[in-house]
Amino acid sequence: MRKKPSRHIDINAVKYWRYKSIIQSFFSLIILTTCYYAAQVWDWPQWITPVLLCLILSFAIFNIFFKPGIIWRTWRYDVTEQEIDLFYGIFIKKRTLIPMVRVQHVDTEQGPLLRHFGLSTVSISTAAGTHKIPALSDNVASSLRDAISELARVVDEDV
Amino acid sequence: MYKPQRLHPLAILYFFIRRVYKMAQALIPLLVLAIAEAEFRRWLLLATPFILLLFFAYGVLYWARYVFYIKGQELRMESGVLIRKKRYIPFERIQTVQISAGILQRLLGLVKVQVETAAGGKKAEFVLEALPRQKAEELSSLLQAKENYSQGSHLGKAAVEYTLSTRSLLLLASTSNSIGVAIAAIAAVSQFNDIFTSVHIWEKLGAFLKDIVAGEAGLIIFLVITLLFVAWLLSLLGTVIRFAGFRMTRDDKKIKISRGLFEKQQTTIPLNKIQSVRLIEGVLRQPLGMQSVQVVSVSNIDAKSEGSMIAPLLPKSQLTRFMGVFLPEFILPSPLQGLPGKAKARYYLVNILPALAIATLSAVFIPWGFLAFILVPLAAWLGKKQYQDAGWQVAGSSLVLRKRRLARVTTIIHRNRIQSLSVSRSFLQERKKLNSLTIAFAFGTNNGHRVKLSGLGDEETRVIVAWFNRST
Repeated sequence: MRKKPSRHIDINAVKYWRYKSIIQSFFSLIILTTCYYAAQVWDWPQWITPVLLCLILSFAIFNIFFKPGIIWRTWRYDVTEQEIDLFYGIFIKKRTLIPMVRVQHVDTEQGPLLRHFGLSTVSISTAAGTHKIPALSDNVASSLRDAISELARVVDEDV
Repeated sequence: MYKPQRLHPLAILYFFIRRVYKMAQALIPLLVLAIAEAEFRRWLLLATPFILLLFFAYGVLYWARYVFYIKGQELRMESGVLIRKKRYIPFERIQTVQISAGILQRLLGLVKVQVETAAGGKKAEFVLEALPRQKAEELSSLLQAKENYSQGSHLGKAAVEYTLSTRSLLLLASTSNSIGVAIAAIAAVSQFNDIFTSVHIWEKLGAFLKDIVAGEAGLIIFLVITLLFVAWLLSLLGTVIRFAGFRMTRDDKKIKISRGLFEKQQTTIPLNKIQSVRLIEGVLRQPLGMQSVQVVSVSNIDAKSEGSMIAPLLPKSQLTRFMGVFLPEFILPSPLQGLPGKAKARYYLVNILPALAIATLSAVFIPWGFLAFILVPLAAWLGKKQYQDAGWQVAGSSLVLRKRRLARVTTIIHRNRIQSLSVSRSFLQERKKLNSLTIAFAFGTNNGHRVKLSGLGDEETRVIVAWFNRST
């Protein structure tokens, strides 16, 4: 294989994923509390709540403290005149090549949490699905979007 | 030039009947309930003519407002009584044009034209419900002729034709994979009956299990076999109805397929819209040396299966000749390259592990469930076949991937049709330095289609990626 793509996603992405995981864990806790009371009311087996608690805690610890850093370290991308080169994955490492002539359109997306950290996600659509580069800083994302859009327009074949 | 024009006047009758039919369908439960009331019956008798008249008037208006025409390089349609709708389709966006005739159209001696673009969705973008056949074909050829063909073919102008013999049709039907669907349908119906004839379905089930244990299994086995046989006959009949009179022609621009006993299906696929070709060897067909050839185009008509079969059943010995005549752009380079030996374990494991899990569960929870352990050697055998059949090859601008789930499928695709190419490596594959290759191409609705081949070594992966990069 060729060597890995060179560009990293924004370092703020780590903070972003950490906050996202905290929020998600909070919702899991709400479900857990409901489950605890439901177990009291309907006589469910006693072990359900502690087992769920352990599961939720271990996922939360992994998702909050370890996963964001790992994703940031493993995510790489490159955009050249000819192609878009993506490399990511924790347990399954995936390398995707998208020829520039196959790109149909590019979007940038930004939810409220992403906006808080000044980040955007670039999504690249081909006739066979969409690929995403997550959490780039706003400037990088919008210049990348414009660049891809410009490069994709040069050769416009039919589907 | 193609002037603005309406559908055939009989279309009024078509719209009318269709509307009445739909209305009746929706109201049947209500009618059944209310018909007992004398008051309601009288009211219904009075109202029906008015309602029908209203529907007919609406049909006339709808017909009068329904206009289609060609302007510049666009097919245009304007329709709607209360809400005016206009739809313009540029010729280069048109993927396929299909002419068909449902029962209603046949009664009226008309045909239906469906024009498809690459956009997603279940329905065709542009449907002309009722046209005389001659006009439909004129329009179809007009739309196809205006296409701009970037990939000229090296075939002459003369069209070549392929038909399905009666013997092949019967063989096709009797080895059809839709057997499963028919079984499910029968099972559903028989359960439905059960629920209605007896509320004590669980008692019955208990008695049924007792029968098995008591050794009165003969009758039950007989019943199951009869059920399977009926299911098989039904699917046979279905396939015969759908594929009777199969005829495929190719000229230098397009492939035309027509088939069907009651409902004539006619599909046109422009050659430059073909994304890839799939050779499918079904479980029952492979031992007979038979396979089907499917053309994958972006259109969404029958994207998954039958509409794009250009040869539903072809003997293996004839494949090379067939491809040479009909699709010389997609000739299969032989032989394929297999996978490295270290990939073998993965193919065994992904089949044996689920089988073991199922067998263990059923042995614990179901009486006689340990019989499910028969699945394990079967799974091992399937794994072995899957490993042996997996293969790839690159030749010129085409890539060939072959893999088996149950049926063996060989995909032939040109480099410029691949939308993206991914190489992935899981932490288990890391140890053995193996990769999985996924290619994505446009197929059917919006998300396209992916073909994944697991267990390629680093060197093989490098060759394929280098081949792919050559285009860009």
